[in-house]
Formats: sequence, C-alpha cells, structure tokens
Amino acid sequence: MSPRAAEHVEHTATGRMVFDVGSQHPSTHGLLRLAIETDGEEIVSAEACLGFLHRGIEKLGEHRRYHQLPTLMDRGDYLSGIHGELASALAVERLRGIEVPPKAHWLRSLLGEINRIASHMAWYGTFGRDAGVTSHFFYSMRDREALLDILEAVTGQRMTFNYVRPGGVIADLTVVAESKIRRFLRTFDAHLDEHQTFLGGNELLQKRLRGVGVIDRDSAMSLGLTGANLRASGVPYDVRRDRPYAAYSELEFGIPIGTTGDAMDRYLVRIEEMRQAARIVRQCIEGLPEGAVMAKLPKALRPREGETYACVESPRGELGVHLVADGSETPRRFHYRAPSLFAIAALEQMLPGTLLADAALLVGSVDIVPGEVER
Amino acid sequence: MLPDVTAVRSLLSGVAEAEAECTSLGVVVHASSGDAVAILAALKSSEFDFAVLIDLLGTDLGDRVEITYHLRSFTRDEDIFVKSSLPHGGTLQSASGVFASALLPERETAELFGLVLAGHPNPKRLLTTEGQEPLLLRSVPIRTVKEVRDG
Repeated sequence: MSPRAAEHVEHTATGRMVFDVGSQHPSTHGLLRLAIETDGEEIVSAEACLGFLHRGIEKLGEHRRYHQLPTLMDRGDYLSGIHGELASALAVERLRGIEVPPKAHWLRSLLGEINRIASHMAWYGTFGRDAGVTSHFFYSMRDREALLDILEAVTGQRMTFNYVRPGGVIADLTVVAESKIRRFLRTFDAHLDEHQTFLGGNELLQKRLRGVGVIDRDSAMSLGLTGANLRASGVPYDVRRDRPYAAYSELEFGIPIGTTGDAMDRYLVRIEEMRQAARIVRQCIEGLPEGAVMAKLPKALRPREGETYACVESPRGELGVHLVADGSETPRRFHYRAPSLFAIAALEQMLPGTLLADAALLVGSVDIVPGEVER
Repeated sequence: MLPDVTAVRSLLSGVAEAEAECTSLGVVVHASSGDAVAILAALKSSEFDFAVLIDLLGTDLGDRVEITYHLRSFTRDEDIFVKSSLPHGGTLQSASGVFASALLPERETAELFGLVLAGHPNPKRLLTTEGQEPLLLRSVPIRTVKEVRDG
C-alpha cells in the first residue's frame, strides 16, 4: 500500500468500486477515459480506454502524396505541430535524398523550440489545474498566446501550421515576426522565474508531487518512455543531441535530467527545458544564415523503393515516422511513432497503489496528447 | 548508430535461424514469426544491450503482414530492426513479456491488421469498435465523401 494512503481503512469493508475518470478532463488535452478500480481511496487497477480521437492518420497517409504528409502530422500531436511535420519531412528527405538549404535547417530549429515552449506552457497550465491551482493558468496562457502569435506571424496558423515540408520550410522569417520573437525573449526568462516561484515554489505543491508516480530508470526504459518522462528517470537521452537533425549540431543547450523519476522531477525537467529552448531560440535568431528556405523539387516526389525511420525530439518525447516507399507517388506504409502512446502504458502501470486524488495529477505529469496516442 | 552485422549474426546463430542484413533502414534481422520473441529476448540480454523496444508496426505486403520490431540500445546508441511475417488473420505472439512497451502497440497492430493476439495480458481492441474492418490492410478501401453519404 502507498505510504500516503490512510491507515486502518482495510477494515471498512466497503468493497471495490469501478468507475470512469474522463472522458473529458482538462489535463488530457483531448479525450481520454480511464476505467479505474478503487479500494477505498486507493487505486487498484487502471485501464486507458482509447478510441475517441482515432482518425486513421496512418491510413490516410497511404493515400496522400509525400508533401501532403505534414498536413496529416499536424493533426496528430496538435500541440506541437512543427515537430510532427519535421519528422515526416525528414523521413521523405532521407528516402528521396533531398538537400535542405542551411537557412531552412535553422528555421526548423527556431520554430521547433518556439513550439516546444508553447506546448510546455499548455502542459504547465493544465498540470497546475490538476493540482487544484487556478490563477497560474492565466499567466501560462499569457506566454502561450505570445508564442502562438509569433507562430501565426511566421506560418499563418496558430496550431496546424503546415510550415515544414519536404525540402525546407514554406516561408522566411519576416521583420515583424523577428521583432515579436525578440520582444518575447526580453521578458521570458523573468516570466519563467515567476512561473517557477508561483507553482513549483509552492511548498504544498511540492509535497503533493514528491514521491508520487515514481518511474524508475529500468521501468522507464522497458515501457519505452522517451523525452522528458525518460530524462526525469535519469536517462540522459535526447534526440536533438544524440542524433542531431535540423541545426541542432551547431546549437548549444543543456539537457536537464531528474534523479528519482517522480512527478516533481518531471515537472522540473519540463520547466528547465523551456529555459533551454529559449536559449536555443536566442541562438537561432542571432545565427540565422542567409539564403533560400526551400530546395527546388519536382511537383510530385517519387522516392525509390525503400524504408526509413526518422525521429525528432518533440515536447512529449521521440516522435518518429517510419516510412515504406514503393516507388510510386504515395507511401506504401506511413507509421507514426507517438511518444504519448507509450506514456499511456506507463500511466496504467503507475496509477495502481496511488490515491484517487492523485490520478488527475499523474495524468498531467506524463503530458499526453490523445490526438497523438490514437492518430 | 548501426550495430556490427557480423556480431549480430554470430549472436543469433545460437538462438534461432535468422538472417541479418544492412539496408536503407539500418540493420534488419529477418526471422520466422515463431522465433521473433526469442530473438528479441536474446538481443535484449546480449552485450548490445537493446533494452528498449522503441516501436512496433505492421506492414501489409499483399500476401502477408510483416511485423517490424524496432529496438534501441541507449548505452551504445544503436538501433536494430527485427522483422517477421504472418499470414493474413494469423496469430501474433506477444512480446510484452520481454518488453512492456509492446503492450499497446501490439493491441493496435493486431486490431488494424486483423491478427489474433496470443500471450497478451489484455488482448482487447484498442482504437475501434467491434466489427470494424482491419483498417490498415490495403484491401480495405478509404471511402469517398459520396460513398459515406450514400451509405
């Protein structure tokens, strides 16, 4: 039994109860139903019931031309569209052997990191809501809106960007967008300190998060966790550093790692990731090379017969695209490796033994997007 | 990034009949569906330390369904792919005993390719309702807007 569960409750003989948590809850960023069995206040078993957001993205991808794939990927993990687009573009570029102009690489990193902060801000806001805090949510939305405004100025869209395509990106940075990014960077570090004092510095929240939802190093690896969830458990693996793509080999950034793998570590790792992402954005703005943003490509791409896997570090972990080409205009098989799918499995393992009141908190702490889980 | 093919071959020669080759994807091991789980276990406990099943997917090859297991070693930063093929409607032996990360992808793959899942602790459908055709088979068409409207 969890050390936090009330003592002497096993004699009340209330029997076990099964009920649904969800399917609508702010922490799920979509629709997720958890069938939870409880004994008193303690969770005995948990099962994720999926299917609300299954749109058949993989099947649709098999009936689209190669440069239409990013449009579908946007709808997978809709909180970090740039990363999904980038993974599919990288896979197509690898199969077809496309040389991407240097400026496009830098813009991909720049927009990717802006998107990462925007996505983490949505997580930060909803995560605090799960813990019962409300007012910080409006502060997180203040920063997220500024970021979405930047993304809109560059790509024309707030969430489903369709900005990164095989061969490069569709638009250069405008003067307006650049000044918006600079204005954002002037205040962001101070804002992040404010966030950290507001939520993470709250002793009550720290007490709620420490020692809850612990995933140790070995189980994190065996469950296939990636990204912040894996790093919080002490595995220093980051696709950006270990398998550099876009402009990451030329950029400097730190990779925060946790020690215990509890909810507090996952919180701290994500907060620090935002700080590092802002650092990358600053470097991208200063070091942005001149030149074209899109390679010259034919209207229809026909990669040779072959198979490839390309992955990027999305805010939720390793987002991969496994592409099988048969020499025609459409992929033979288009598979989307969604990090949230593995986080759901981890959640099912993590919930038994904790208190029911912590269930929503733990759903928030692994940062899942059902749109990506079900594709 | 790429493990040594000869070392992989000599490791697997003692486990089961399998072929290892270097392709555009990386190092790929072809195995029969009966041996796949044993090969995954051997790769996991070997000196390569393939401790993580990063991904699991199916591909419809027309006459059969190919299952691809994607393993990664964090200590060496190497990837390996294990492929095995099943007939349509065949039985997919669960690898969840070796890699817990196979739990959900296996359910999804079995459902979307019309396979039977064996040895899985919870072999239910994951995404679609009972009676839904296996969507990712190439023989299952995407319906046009008109076809959907006219029923």
